[in-house]
Amino acid sequence: MNLRAVYSLAVVLTRSQVRGTQRNKFLARVFGEPRIILPVDIALLFGLGGVGYALLSTSGGGGLLDLLRPIEPELLAGIPSAIMFMAILFGVLYEISQPIQSMNTDLVNWLPITPMEYVAGSTISESYIYSFVLCLFLGVVLGPALALGMASVWIAAAFMAVVALFAGAAVVEILDATTNRISSSFYKKSGRSGIVFRLVATVILLVFIQLLFSGYVVGYLLQGVMQAAISVWFIPVVWPTLAVLGAAQANLSSFVLFSSFSVAFAVALFGLAARFRARFWVPVPVSIKLSTRAYQPRQNHVPLIGAVESAMIQKDFRSLIRRREMARFLAIPFVLAISVGISLLPLGTQQTAEAPSFVFIAFLFLMPVAIFVGALSMTSIGQEGYAVWNLYAAPITPSQLLRAKLLFAAILGVPFAIVLLSIFALLLNTVGTYYAILLPVSVLVVLEVSALGVYFAALFPDFREMVRSRYVSVWGSLLGIGTALGVSLLTVAPMALSISLYGSITPQLAIISFGIALAVFIAALKIAHRQIQRMFQNIQT
Amino acid sequence: MEALRVDNVVKSFGGLMAVKGVSFSVERNQILGLLGPNGSGKSTIMKTIVGIVKPDGGSITVQGVNVAADPIGVKRIVGFVPESPRLYEFLSGIEYLDFVASIHGLSPDTRRERITEFLKALDLEGRENELIHGYSQGMKQKLAIIAGLLHRPQILILDEPLNALDPRSARIVKDLIHRLRDDGVPTVFSTHVLEIADAICDRIVIMYDGRVLAEGSVGELRSKAGTAGSSLEEVFLKLTGTSDTREIVEALTR
Repeated sequence: MNLRAVYSLAVVLTRSQVRGTQRNKFLARVFGEPRIILPVDIALLFGLGGVGYALLSTSGGGGLLDLLRPIEPELLAGIPSAIMFMAILFGVLYEISQPIQSMNTDLVNWLPITPMEYVAGSTISESYIYSFVLCLFLGVVLGPALALGMASVWIAAAFMAVVALFAGAAVVEILDATTNRISSSFYKKSGRSGIVFRLVATVILLVFIQLLFSGYVVGYLLQGVMQAAISVWFIPVVWPTLAVLGAAQANLSSFVLFSSFSVAFAVALFGLAARFRARFWVPVPVSIKLSTRAYQPRQNHVPLIGAVESAMIQKDFRSLIRRREMARFLAIPFVLAISVGISLLPLGTQQTAEAPSFVFIAFLFLMPVAIFVGALSMTSIGQEGYAVWNLYAAPITPSQLLRAKLLFAAILGVPFAIVLLSIFALLLNTVGTYYAILLPVSVLVVLEVSALGVYFAALFPDFREMVRSRYVSVWGSLLGIGTALGVSLLTVAPMALSISLYGSITPQLAIISFGIALAVFIAALKIAHRQIQRMFQNIQT
Repeated sequence: MEALRVDNVVKSFGGLMAVKGVSFSVERNQILGLLGPNGSGKSTIMKTIVGIVKPDGGSITVQGVNVAADPIGVKRIVGFVPESPRLYEFLSGIEYLDFVASIHGLSPDTRRERITEFLKALDLEGRENELIHGYSQGMKQKLAIIAGLLHRPQILILDEPLNALDPRSARIVKDLIHRLRDDGVPTVFSTHVLEIADAICDRIVIMYDGRVLAEGSVGELRSKAGTAGSSLEEVFLKLTGTSDTREIVEALTR
């Protein structure tokens, strides 16, 4: 193995990943230089450790120390598993959020680098990039470990965490090589159904990851991790944790056994990754045939809108379901619906006489609707990417672009609102009229937020095609989502006031709600139109 | 009769002055070649003609339509192929062409007829249902050329159109440009391949550092450069002051 090539590759891959994911130019430049990561890691590790130790060594730290004493070994033992999980998770997320355009610019395909060298460079790079999380975790537990006299256990945990990080990075390499080959062969044969399958799989993965980070699941996992690790000792991923537990219990043979197993496991994973990479190397983008039918053009008419808008809406739908980096937007409604469903479940099963208030239900219902529609509309222009010249060079008027982007978000937003409202009706035994009120309100909110979203999309577009592209600037997304939520609340406020004052909706306050929605919608249309005009005049090419 | 007039166009990007008062015109029945080294402002001037880049000064008129006053009107009559075109890679070739044709308001029958003809002519028949992502650079270029021609434009603006094309397709595109010229559809195209410019252009504009350095037929340019009987390459190198290539090659191979 050419170690110089491995080192160079690791440096290049680190720079590429950091600069490709970091939008802030200054941070990208600073952290894109691998040399800077190491001092930051050291500062994080010993800074946190020093602060923790200083806090616990003071007279007031005694109580806290007593609290930490029983859980510190478990915390230390949990770090390697957490690190391995995190490396796999981040690695997979990085892979699935890469835009299709950046997938076939793989310089290693034409450089004299062996698969083994590539895997070594890539594994080191990924381990190095996520080393700050490792240092963060280890830094937090360093102070208590020193104060409790568990320095040797901490050293064991640090060693095993490094091994676990490396193993996690190797697992990502295996997944990458395997999915490359599987998807290449699969798409070649299955065409359109392959794309749908990939979309569903990506959405499920994203929903799973989101839910895994919800408070309930994390709490459950933390409680059970130690018992689980001991009962499943034969599974390699828990060996680093068992090695640290052995060190904590001063059981040298257990530590030596499981740490050796862990190192052997990491080396085996690395070997497997190199073998997979050698076997499943797919340097050329695969051709996906969508259909075998002869071309039969149709009159592109969505009812009541023109052919240009229809064509753009159709294109945007295809973009949403065929680009894997867009799958996260499709995952949003599922994640929101499931999250809201989970939080509603206890309310629905409570045997209390008092039903949840209208304001509570309206807020809980309109918030996900506004977020989903806001995300779709705010990203609708930036997601064109560098191919946006196709729109700039075409005879498309600002009004046509506005209508197309607005309707695209609204067409998806209205069904989502209806489905979400049905979930509410199923899970909450509440006054039926609430739902009858919220349905038209949600349609109004969808229209308002769609128009406002297009305004922010045109004001803050981000056409850069990079890993985890946002399609709208950070400021744009913050302002956009904030405005979307504010407008939703403003629309429903008169009705909420009516219910709290009179126990029902009065016609006057309902008309005020409708008037607010109409005014916001018309104002949003005007500013969005003006902004798209400006965008066409100051084109970013 | 004048089909295109570019009048004293100025454009800067930040501190970089990309185009410094460029003027030229194109007659109907004329093919104009834009030549110049990398960074000379060719692509910028082409984008200003199409209305993608707004000039800081000067004016452009295409078939009597002022670009600043009616950019949509100009886009309706121009066929544009950019350098290294970025297409919607998540669409199949046929879906992309159908999208472009729909934007130009072509009826289903016209769409079918023209798209089928072009796909066959440029050897994309049988590959049209594949995602563009899997296309080679040459196939993407062919698709962009078809998209630029589908609506029967009144003028063609082609930025390095023959890049990555196979010889047969390049020949078809060249013949097509000639045929369109004969039918009164002029073309402005940029290229680095001077033999191509020599072979198909009626007039040539040589750009250098954001300015028009010389303009005329190949014969006129030869006499301007004082290199009668020499190739267009020698004329170009002489005019752009980059004729010291022998010394550079020697330095590189030393």
